[in-house]
Formats: sequence, C-alpha cells, structure tokens
Amino acid sequence: MALDIKKFISRFVEEAREHVKRLGEGLDTLSRDSSDRENINAIFRSAHTIKGSSRMLKLTAITETAHKLEDVLGAMRDGSLNYRPELGNLLYRSVDAIALLVESLATSGDPATLQPVDVVLCASLAQAATGEVAVAEAPLSCIDPAKDGVPAVVKSASSPSVIPSSLAVPPPPPSQAKLNAADTVRVRLAKLDELIKLMGEVVSSHATLRQRLLDFRMIERDGSPEHWVQHRARLHHFGLTLRDDVQSQELLMDELHDKALIMRMLPLSMVFDSAGRVVRDLAHSVGKEVACVVSGAEIELDRQMIDKLSDPIVHLLRNAIDHGLETPVERVAAGKSSQGRVTLSARQDGGWVVIEVADDGGGVPIEAVREKALRKGFISVEQASGMSDQEVVDLIFQPGFSTSTIITDISGRGVGMDVVRQSIVDDLQGEVTVETRLGTGTTFALRLPLSLAVMRVLLVEVNGLPFGVIAQYVAELIRVSHEEMLTVVERKAVIIRNEFVPVVALADLLHVPERLVKTTRSQAGISDRGMLLVVVRVRNEKLALAVDDLLDELDMVIKPLPEHMRRLTVVSGMVITGKNELVSVLHAPALLELARKVRSQASRTEAANHAGEQEFVYKILVVDDSLNTREIEKDVLEAWGYHVTLAEDGIDGLQQARTGTFDAILTDVEMPNMDGFTLTSMLRQEEKYRDTPIVIITSREKEEDKRRGIQVGADAYIVKGEFDQNSLVDTLRSLLG
Amino acid sequence: MNQQELTLEQVLSQRRESNRGIVNVVESMTKLVIFELQGDWFAFHGDKIREILSQVNVFFVPGCPPSLEGVINVRGDIESVISLHELLQLPASADMASASYLLGRGAGMSSGIRVDEVVDVVDVPLSNIHKPPTTLPEHLRTIVSGILRFKEKTVTVLDLDRIFADYSQGLG
Repeated sequence: MALDIKKFISRFVEEAREHVKRLGEGLDTLSRDSSDRENINAIFRSAHTIKGSSRMLKLTAITETAHKLEDVLGAMRDGSLNYRPELGNLLYRSVDAIALLVESLATSGDPATLQPVDVVLCASLAQAATGEVAVAEAPLSCIDPAKDGVPAVVKSASSPSVIPSSLAVPPPPPSQAKLNAADTVRVRLAKLDELIKLMGEVVSSHATLRQRLLDFRMIERDGSPEHWVQHRARLHHFGLTLRDDVQSQELLMDELHDKALIMRMLPLSMVFDSAGRVVRDLAHSVGKEVACVVSGAEIELDRQMIDKLSDPIVHLLRNAIDHGLETPVERVAAGKSSQGRVTLSARQDGGWVVIEVADDGGGVPIEAVREKALRKGFISVEQASGMSDQEVVDLIFQPGFSTSTIITDISGRGVGMDVVRQSIVDDLQGEVTVETRLGTGTTFALRLPLSLAVMRVLLVEVNGLPFGVIAQYVAELIRVSHEEMLTVVERKAVIIRNEFVPVVALADLLHVPERLVKTTRSQAGISDRGMLLVVVRVRNEKLALAVDDLLDELDMVIKPLPEHMRRLTVVSGMVITGKNELVSVLHAPALLELARKVRSQASRTEAANHAGEQEFVYKILVVDDSLNTREIEKDVLEAWGYHVTLAEDGIDGLQQARTGTFDAILTDVEMPNMDGFTLTSMLRQEEKYRDTPIVIITSREKEEDKRRGIQVGADAYIVKGEFDQNSLVDTLRSLLG
Repeated sequence: MNQQELTLEQVLSQRRESNRGIVNVVESMTKLVIFELQGDWFAFHGDKIREILSQVNVFFVPGCPPSLEGVINVRGDIESVISLHELLQLPASADMASASYLLGRGAGMSSGIRVDEVVDVVDVPLSNIHKPPTTLPEHLRTIVSGILRFKEKTVTVLDLDRIFADYSQGLG
C-alpha cells in the first residue's frame, strides 16, 4: 500500500512555516547584533530542522536550499565567517526562497509540483560559506525558468544596490504576495481540558434541574387544599432553589461560551508575521528600499476575521510601497532617508482592534485625486470645488479608481481599495479611514470588532418592534426635550457639546410599519420626558436616532442573514432574544449613509424652493472642526442658494480663504491648530478680507467672549444654543446686503 | 354480436401490439406539494420543498423589498420568507394567522414561502402534468412549468428554481 504522503506534507508545512518564521526573526536580530551567538545557534537549528524533515519527504529543492543555508550559518557559528549586510541580504533571500517553496507545497500538496531548486542562489550560498566576498545578486526568488520563458537573470553586481538589477528581474507571480491563513487551530491541551471539565459541570447541572422537576411534581401531588399554607411555603422554597440553580447554570453557560470562543481566537501574528517578507519582495520588485516595522502581532482576533484580513492588509502594504513611498532618489531630494518605512501595527481600543498600515512617503496627492475623479466622472465640477480634503481622499475607495498614471504589476489596476473597503466594512463590520499629510506620509486605519460571533448589542424599541445596534457604534444615549430640538432645512438636529448632530426618527428611516397594538407606556414616555436619542458614531460623524424605548444591552450571538439577503446593507445580522424573537441588528455606517441620502434629497427640494430668490450666488466659507456642524451649516446655506466651501480648522480656513475668494466667512471658536478668534484677526490683516463679513458661531455665550469676538473683528456672533436657520440666514443677508 | 366482440378484442390486441414499447415502461411519478393562494391552487415539485412549517412567527426586517416579508427562525437558522402574491399578481392575503410556510431550496438559495394553506402532498404520474397553455399571461410564462387537474381543480405547477433565481437576481 502506498504511503499517504499528503498527511506528512501538511504536517511538514506547518512545522516549516514555524521555522521559517523563526529564521526571519533570527535574521532580524542578526542584522542588529551579529555577535549574539545564541541567536546564530537558533537560526542554525531551524535551518537544520527544515533540511532534515524535507529530506525525509524527498523535497529536494527545500533540502538543497536549507542545506546551503545551514553551511553558511555553520561557518558563522564557528567564527570562520563574519556577518556583513550583503551576506544578510543573501540569507534573507534564501529564507524567502524556502518560504516560497513551502507555500507552493502548501497550496498544491504534491511534492512533484515543487519548483526546482534555485541553482544560482545555492551557488552564491556555497560561495559565501567559503568566505568569499562575491555575493551574487540573484533573482529575488525561484522563478521557474520554463514557465516564464526567460532564464533567471544573474548579475554579479558587487554593489548591494538593488535598483538597476531589480528592473531586469521579472515581477514575482501575484500569488506570492499572500499572507498565510491557518486551516487548523492549535489549542493548548489545558484549554481543551478546561472546556471538557466545564462540559461535565453542565451535564451535572442538568441533572440537578431534572431533580428539580421531580421535586416540583412531588409538591404538585401533595397539594391538598387543607395544607395550603404549608404548600405555599414549599412552593416558595422550591422557587428559591430553582432560582439558585438557574443562576449557577447561567454562570456556567457564560464561562463555557467564553472558553469556547477563546478557542476561535488567533493572534494577529498569523497575518503579520509574513508581512516582512511580503514588504521585502514587493519593495525589491519596484526598486525601492523599505524597512518594515511590525507591532501588536500578539493581539488576538476571531479566526474568521484573521482569515479575511490577509487580503486587505496585503493590498494596503502593496499600496504603501507602490503609491505611498517615493523612490530613493525622490526621498533623498525631499530630505528624507533613502530607505522608506512601512509600519504595520495593531492596538486595542475599547471593544475594537485598530490595525494601521502607515508609510512615511509623500502622502496622497489630493489635487491629483480631485482631478482624476473629475476626469473619470466620479464627481461633477461643482462637487469637486466643494469637497473637503478628507472627502477627496475618500474617493480612492471608489470602485475603478487608481491614481497611479502607470499601471504596475503590484497595484494600480484600479481594483483593490474598493475591495479593501468592502471586505472591511461589509464582511468584518469594521471601518477604514485614511489620514494623509502631504510630504510626511499616509496612514490607513482598519477598525475591527474583536469577534464577529458575539457582540455587545443595545436593544431599542421602535413602533413596538425591537431593533439592535452594535454597542461599539453607540456614542451616547440622551433624552432631549422638544424645545432643545432645532429645525434645520426641514429636518431636526440637536446640539451636543458644541456640535450639531442630525436627528432622525428610526421609524421613518427604516420605514417601520405603524404598530398594530399601541402600548401606552412608551407613548407616554415621548410626550413627558422628551425624545430618547441613541447617538451613533462612525468615524467622526454622528447621527442621533430617535427611538421609543431602550430594552436591554446584552452580549449576543449575531446570526448571519440568508445569503440572498446580504445585500440589505442596513442589517448586519440577527440576534435571538430571550423571548425567542428575531431582532435585526442595524449596521450603523449604513444608517448614516441612508440618512445622508434622505437628507440630500430634502435639501435639494428645499434649494429648489428658494431658487430664484437670489440672482447672485454668494460664496461662503464655513470653518468648523465638527464634520456634522459643517455639513448642517452647509445644508442650510445651500438650501438658501449660497455656494459653500468647507474648512476643518483655522489653518485650513486661512489657506482656503487665501487661495479662494469668499463673500462671507462663518467660523467656530474652539478648533484644533488655530481657533476662530485668531483666524478672524488673521483674516482682518489680509487685504481682501478687510471688509468681508465674518460671523462667529459658537457655544460660548459669555459676554467677554462676545466682546473678544467683536474686538478681533467679527461682524456677528451667533450662539449655537439659540441657533436657528433663520437667524443665520437673516444675519448673512443683512451683512451681505 | 359475437362477431363484433371478436373485432373489439382484435382491435385491442392490435393496439397493445403497437403500444408494446410504451406499456412496458413503469410510469414515472413525481411528488407535488399543492397549496392554495387566494383561492387558486398551485404546486411545487416535492423535491424542492424541504419542510412545511405552520405557526411560525415572521419578524420584520427593515429595507426588504415588498415581496420579502421578513425572516423566520428555523431551529436556529435564519430563513427569509417570500410571498408569491406579487409575483403571481394576486391581492395580498389579509389573514396571516392561518398561513403555512414551505421551506424551499433551489437555484443555490433557500427560503420560506408563505402560502394560505397547504392542500395536499401527492404523487402524480408525470404524464398528468400538461404543458402550460400558450395563452398564459406574460408574468406567468417563465415561472409556470405545467398544469394539472386535481380534485376537479386546476393546479398550476410553478418552477421554484426559476422563481428563486429571478429573486436573487432581482435583489442584486
């Protein structure tokens, strides 16, 4: 009978991956401190193990490479060879070559399909082991000459510079840049034993409950009318015992649940560990020098998420290397070190994990993005001029958008960023944000829940029906009186700490059918105590949802919707309540999107109403650090026919004002970088804004603030608390004449 | 008289002779789930229906198209509920309480289908199902796979695969 080699292959792959990882870490240490003997020993052992186990399975290519690597490391160990950076590069390359072979074996599972050994690489290793200086600039990895139709390029360049030679190297096949995801989970035996022990507890607790049932039957049988006092006491006692049992059962179930879920958790290192190699490969193929810094790999996430994270992260890394980082020449010209830096980091933030992919490159060229979006017809000329920088940057997530003028093999095919967003937002219930500064770099932040299986859910009631909101999205719960509610362009808003937050009734937003049976309780709640608002936050945008009642807040298992219903973006899943009801869990980003759509329709109709009232279109600059406030002021003003440009802080405002021409400026006071008072006085020093109306809108209502506002040169001072759209519009009208 | 009987037998035997090839084949049967919607009878092929459920609570899901009434809990799995009224251009049933739900699977999707009442689950010979008449209204033409007489009523056999396929495309 033939030996089933498949089983051994998968075991080998798992083991080899671990050793490759250790080799990579060891080489990192070696490059920092080449005198660490223990480290060299450890790398040597890993190479030796790979050699041994691959030989048993007749994986010649791996054996050969590992063998040569071992020779070099052996020479280093006995001191006949010293570490040099060129040697380091060679060692990295050979580890990468082994990793590649192992991965291809993992996909095919068949040793026969393994690529032949990279002769050039082995030759250079053999040469290096003898202590000779010449380190051949071998191609990046084993490229199958037969497949590519060209012989592997060999350059015996003595300089370690990779730029000229890398251009001649065929780009690596795309499958190469893939991070590993695990097919199996290794669980520590202790953890499994705990779970089994708990299971035993549950079984015995169930036996207790069965006994309680017998007890109850007994009480029922003995219940004669004469002994009803005694009978009641027994019933009472029974109730107490049952309560205790249920409570201990509950504890047990919770623990079981937690323990079982932990088994699904995997460290991010599953995805992060191979990032260094991916970055090296990619950087090499585009001729850039890149250092990769990884941190936070120990954070654990649900394995389902780990599996889905690999592609987005690879894409972001590609993007950082290809688009983000400049070429070494450009970097030096810009006064930076020629070596770029890509940081992949993870940290925990409340119930979320934030994964950041940052580069210290040139930043997203905002004007280029704006122009490209215009050219591709994603936005109109009118929209383009009114968009804030952040909004422009967000355009890169549009399907079919790619800013690179030359399409490269690594990125720039115009697919990707939209896929990244889709997989993070739709599949993983997370968010993607971009922060960019021209000249200093770009950071992509992925915000993800720790687990998709169980989430904290806030249950609210609308028209008698329950709905769930994932607690991470809930910023606060407040109750406001009707007097505090503002009406802005036919829709409502409240001011929460110096910020306008639009209010929508959840019932209207979701078209929840009118309740069939009216319960008086929550109806009364509305009229007596004002409106109950659930404020949800997605990034820096907030939305207040008016609901009838709060029901509960629980950790709940979220069940997916049937496949064909996944397109309902508003609902991210269902939870089952204690009463066996199915409750839709609302997806906050989709709610905001929906509210925005409704809002823009409303302001369009409003604008149509006011159109014609004004013959001349005034240009207004609105400066406020709160996105919501900016948007609301913009809506109000646009509804009255003004043309609005937005700025997010004093400095931004000043820049906008200098580059453009505005007929009036509205500004907040408290803002980062430069406050409204400073902005106002700075603007007054500019020739073209000496007489332009400046309106300060703030929640500071103290007399001295007002005085200060007038002192620095503001024409009007509107307190947000007394804000209503008419006062704003009237003020503007009177100022503009 | 005698002469005539003989002739009849002869005729019959002749017919048997000519039909021999067909008679020897056991007639293939098919299972149909027959149900009522607004007084009309319809049917699905039995192999497409996994289960018949009654007395289930349908829960509202926001953002659904009108033909999707909500979701039900089938032993921990969440299944959608489709109403065929719109598709068949029937008025909506007012009485939801007595409704039954057919759990169907086809075209790669699975869903509950609300019907007013399940009439019967029967085995019928395939030959009893006739081709739909060409006079069928436009909206039914693609989804009706056959017509059958059952208990003095006309039963319209619907193609579940087709309905589900159209459905999942319509949502997409």
